[in-house]
Order: sequence, then structure tokens, then C-alpha cells
Amino acid sequence: MIRLRGCSTPRLCGALLLTLAPWALVATSPALDWDLSLDARLVTSDAQPPFAQDGSGTVRFGEDDSGLRLGRARLALTQPFGEVWSAHIDVSMYDDYDRSPVGVTEAYLLFRPYPRSGYRLRVKAGGFYAPISLENRAAGWDSPYTISYSAIDSWLGIEVRTLGLEAQLDWLGTRLGHSFDLGVTGGVFGWNQGAGTVLAGGGWSLTDRQTALFGRIGTPGVPPTYGALPFEQYDHRAGVYGGIEARYLDRLTVRALRYDNRADPAASDSVSGEMAWWTRFNSAGARYEGDGGWTAIVQWMSGETTIAPPGLSLSWPFKAEYALLAKRFGRHTLSARYDRFMVSTNIAEGDGSQDGHAWTAAYAYDAGAHWRIALEWLQVVSSSYNRVELGGLPLATETQLQLSIRYAIGSH
Amino acid sequence: MRPPARVCRGRWAAWLAWAGLFLSGPLLLPAGAGVAATLIVDAQTSDGHALAGAAVTVRPLDGQGHRPTPVQAVMDQVNRAFVPDLLVIPVGSTVSFPNTDSVSHQIYSFSPAKRFQLPLYRGKPYPPVHFDQPGVVTLGCNIHDHMLAYLVVTDAPWYGPTGTDGAWTAELPPGRYRVELWHPRLDESEGRLARELTVGDVERARVTVRLSKSLQPPPPPPERSYAGDY
Repeated sequence: MIRLRGCSTPRLCGALLLTLAPWALVATSPALDWDLSLDARLVTSDAQPPFAQDGSGTVRFGEDDSGLRLGRARLALTQPFGEVWSAHIDVSMYDDYDRSPVGVTEAYLLFRPYPRSGYRLRVKAGGFYAPISLENRAAGWDSPYTISYSAIDSWLGIEVRTLGLEAQLDWLGTRLGHSFDLGVTGGVFGWNQGAGTVLAGGGWSLTDRQTALFGRIGTPGVPPTYGALPFEQYDHRAGVYGGIEARYLDRLTVRALRYDNRADPAASDSVSGEMAWWTRFNSAGARYEGDGGWTAIVQWMSGETTIAPPGLSLSWPFKAEYALLAKRFGRHTLSARYDRFMVSTNIAEGDGSQDGHAWTAAYAYDAGAHWRIALEWLQVVSSSYNRVELGGLPLATETQLQLSIRYAIGSH
Repeated sequence: MRPPARVCRGRWAAWLAWAGLFLSGPLLLPAGAGVAATLIVDAQTSDGHALAGAAVTVRPLDGQGHRPTPVQAVMDQVNRAFVPDLLVIPVGSTVSFPNTDSVSHQIYSFSPAKRFQLPLYRGKPYPPVHFDQPGVVTLGCNIHDHMLAYLVVTDAPWYGPTGTDGAWTAELPPGRYRVELWHPRLDESEGRLARELTVGDVERARVTVRLSKSLQPPPPPPERSYAGDY
């Protein structure tokens, strides 16, 4: 995370930094690949303030945010070292009353040797996304289908990141005359023992705001997130994940992954008192790309997060799923998605429990190499204990309409 | 014989080649076979539609065919795709990969007929790759997983890809021939597609090769907005 201390207008400085950095770097290294994009939004919303602003809203922009907003300013750099090594960094700025106006969402070193005898190994070290999402396949872990991510991917973007090492071994059957490829992935990581804090405190939401590595969410001491720090380590236990992937003719992709941060739920920081959240989940999904520009995605996730302050064991089982259907007509894409999600708890009063569903409809137009225009309507219907705690009614229907205009340039 | 698509020759090389063919033609023909016939091969899918982009090879059964002349072919990289995605070339040919994309590629093959890896970085020319063994060479890119192309390296005297109408045409002397057909998306259980036929002293001979199984579906077209799976 880059903090711009001493800067009176941090967002302006961030924008300047994002704009000038590629030119400075390209001047020094001709092999450097770079991408720069600016996504402006026109928003109208009737939602309550989002969790990032200590509210109980389930979408990125609350009613008070209606108007012209910064969706995302992004700079990504990839520097190859020889043929098989490269370093990648993704820096983003979100205008969300954020604790970290400019942050690094991913930064890793990639070792990608040429395949041999049909097998290929890939090793990543640093901070990056585990191979779970099936919709976020555009640059910067964005979705090419909708502006807002599914509930599952929104949560991954907020709280889950690998800070460690991942190895992926692929068997490239399609290069050997077969019709499918297979892959296995394993990861070992630390600094993700705060994952689960936002889910248990604020519940699921549908957003496209990714938390910077080592970033903070919300205000310390203020519900529902209490200034959550997802990227912290409270004990000496490494988290692990393992996944499998199968691809049939590049048309059907199936993924399944088991994640367990293996945190000791009784561990805490002796100074701040922050607890370790033991979070584990299973995820599975499939994406099919058919004839005529059709894409269908289904994904499911189920897990639990636990903390154990002295004498207690508090658990929040969670579950979410979605189905997305998209149709591409040349440069136009129409997408529709249905999300369903819930958080329950073993606390008798129901702290943190939530139950809801969401409909998303989006239209995107790729106006050439640089411009993309997207319009999205999103409605979330949810019932949440959190709203009662903040003095409201449990049930809310929130609707957000966004127009996104994105300009992107880069070395390719 | 129709030259394979995208084969580059200089003007002088072309003149020399034609002159060579003109002079050596009578020597290559069997004794008494002064007339060349036209062979048309029609490739069809299992439901009877024209099958474009299939590799056709024709060998004489009496073993009197000439060895094909190596060519210098080009397979470009355009918009993160190989163009063309199928080349049929004689054994001993070379293929250059110019990469007109602004992004780098790392192409590779681990097919038995030719194992190689070649980085294609922006603005750096690389020497052509020599293909000296017959067989199908599957090409991929280590950076862009969806990129896929095929080289059919053949020692058959007559060869080439079918056109959009599913047809391929060659001029050859009368005799008995074996026609073989291959396509990248053949069903794994399709087996070898071959026909034997006699081409007599007629102007045209025509043979249809029809698949018995449906072709496997093509991969979805690559979208510019997709960076690849995370």
C-alpha cells in the first residue's frame, strides 16, 4: 500500500502518480508492459451507506454518493526478466472515502517456464488472487460482463488475497490432440487472518471495490466493520489452499478450490486486541462459452469464519451462489446475473446474520481499443441483523444504477 | 498443384521455381503419361457441409511421386492469434513468425515432429524455424493460452488446405493415388480419413471425403477485453 503522507489532496497526487509513473518507467525499460485506465461513473442509488463508510448498505454507492464518481483509476506494470520470469504490479485508486486512496491490489513475481511434454508449471510469489473467480477475467481482476462483481467475487476482492506462494501444474491435453486440459493448484500464504471480519460484521455486498493489500476497511471502533484489517497475521500458522481446474476445448471451464487460512481463532494482537479470524471455505463453479456469443457461469461458495475470545467460540457460517448469462453481439454485451447469499451465526441474538438475493442487468459497449461504456442496474433485497443494530428495519431493497465510461491506454 | 496459402517467395525465386517446374515436369511424370489431370478433393462435414481449413495430402500408390520442394512460409501473430492457424508445408520448409502484435509472445511446440520454443518480443526479428520431420505440429503461446495453431508437415508430393468451399484442387498425372485428410477439430475417434482412387486420362477426377463424426466445436473467439483467467 502506498500512503501519500503530507499530501493535502491525496487523490490528486494519486492521479498524478498513476499518470506519470508509466512514462518514467517506460523511459528506463523498453521491455516494460503497462496499462493505464480511468473509469468514471455516473451513479444514482437509493442505498444506505456502504460498509466502507461504516454503513449497512449492500452496494458500492449509497444514496449520498449519487452523482459523478471515480470508479477506478488503475495502473498495471509487467516487467519481464529473461524469458520465464516476470514481475507484475497492479495499483488502483477508488474514490470511496477510503483509508488508502492509492493501493496495490496485486504485486507478484511469476515464474512461467515453457511447457514440456504436455506439462506446464507456474509459480507465483507475492500478493495476488487465488484461482477462484470465473467472471473476473478482465485486466485488473475486473468483470467483462457487469460493473459490480457477484457477491462471491465482491467478498474475495474485499478480504481474500494470497500473500505467499502458489504453484500451478497444467496438463495441456489440447496441445497433445485431446479435447481437454487439466490443472492442479496449491497455495501457502500468511497475512490473511483478518479475512471474514467484513463478512461477519457487514455481510455480503455487491461491489467492484478491491481492498489494497494491507488496506483497512471502515473506521476503527465503528460498526459494522470496526476498521477491519484483512491482511494481518496473528499467529505463526500458514494458510493453505488447493484447487483443481478442467477445461474442455477452452469452452467449458470447471474450477473447485478449498481455502483454509488456518488461523488460531484464539490468537489476537496484544496491542490492538484485534482477533484472528479462522476462515475456511469451499468454492466450485463452471463457465461455458457456447456458439453465438453466449456465456453462462454458475458459482457456489460455502464456508465458515470463527473467532474464539476467552471462554467463547463465535462462528458465522456463510454461503453464496450466483448464475450469470451473457450474450455478445459484436461489440455489445448484454448480461444478467442472479445472486443469492446468506450469513448465519451461533450467537443467539443473531449478530451478523444476513439473508438476501440480488439481480444485476448490464449492457457494455466496447467502442474500440480504448473506450468502454457500460450501464448497470443492480437491485439487492436483503434482511440483516446489522441494520437493526444500527437502528433500522432488518429488510431493505437497494437499487443502484451506474453508467461507466472507461478510457484505457497501454503498451499494447 | 495449388500452392499452399501464405507461402512467400521473392519474384526471382518464383520465376526460377516456375522455370524449374517447366523443365523438370516431364522428368517427374511416369513414362507415357504426357497429360495432366485435375483432381478435386471435396471435404465435407458429417452433415454434408463444406469443410474449410482441412489439410489434404496426395501420394501416388506406385511410388513415382516427386519429393515436394521446401517453401518459406509465414505464420503471423495478429490480435493475439496465429494467422493463418493452419499451414500445410513440405518437409524441409521453414516458417517465420514475424509477430505484428504490439505484445510479446512465446510460442512453443512439444509435438514429436518438431519440439521448439521461440520468444517473439516486440520489435525483435527472429530467424525462421526449420521443419525437417513429417507430422502435425501443434503450436501454442506460453503467455496467451488461447492461441493455438497447426502446421502439417508432409512428404506427400501434392498437399494443401481446403478452401472456404471445402475443395482442394491439384494437377497430377494419371495413376493410382491415396488421398488423406486431416483437420484440427476431428473427433478423437474419427480415425484416419483416407481414400484411394485411380485418376485416368480424363480432364477431371473428383473425390469426396466426408467425416463420419461431428467436428469438435471451435474454441470461443478471443475477446480483447479478456485478460485471461486469474
